[in-house]
Amino acid sequence: MDIKFLKEGNALVVMIEGEIDHHTANRVRERIDSKFLMEPVKNMIIDLSRVTFMDSAGIGLILGRMSRVSSVGGKMTVRKPKPEISRILKMSKIESIIEMDA
Amino acid sequence: MQPLNKMRTEFLSKSSNEAFARVVAAAFAAQQDPSIDILADIRTAVSEAVTNAIVHGYGDREGIVVMECTLYPDYIEILVEDFGKGIEDIEKAKTPLFTTRPDLERSGMGFTVMETFMDELEVASNTGEGTKIRMKKFFGNR
Repeated sequence: MDIKFLKEGNALVVMIEGEIDHHTANRVRERIDSKFLMEPVKNMIIDLSRVTFMDSAGIGLILGRMSRVSSVGGKMTVRKPKPEISRILKMSKIESIIEMDA
Repeated sequence: MQPLNKMRTEFLSKSSNEAFARVVAAAFAAQQDPSIDILADIRTAVSEAVTNAIVHGYGDREGIVVMECTLYPDYIEILVEDFGKGIEDIEKAKTPLFTTRPDLERSGMGFTVMETFMDELEVASNTGEGTKIRMKKFFGNR
């Protein structure tokens, strides 16, 4: 599990690499939240292109970050999920509330 | 129908074992050469079942999680069992978005994922005794 941060205009880009489950989600959550707090950005883009596994802990993780981003008036985008990860995103109907960027 | 193969493993309710369990179950199922998508569904459902046992069955205490996989020519049956506190209301627990642990950012989608990704799901639980989740996944195109 590895996380890289980039800045894209007014957005923090979070590139997650590896597997997101209940075990890894805690660490990912802490790292994203402290980075988002430190950076002068409003929006967040979560890049899932290098995520090889995700279960419902990932849904909780994304929804939790979205509520943080929304609380400062920002916008949340999920970028480039692999097909098997798209399946769980679709199932959770997260796509109806979060912008998806293929 | 006579099973082709069977395995049983038990492990401590440590969250690091979530990855262990799903990898082992998928490796076992792979003996019947199912599609990549079916293996991905098995991995996800096992991850949810084992996480439930760890987070909701045992919570802060440590216990044993048992996973038993039985392989048949066209399907795999997977049992995940804990001896933790049990589920009071199974129907409520299965409701999408319902969670007893919003503090942990649990999405409340665990059982919905298992139901969606597997072909059959049975949950049996007794308060104070534990929970048994039995799931079936067929290998053919259904």
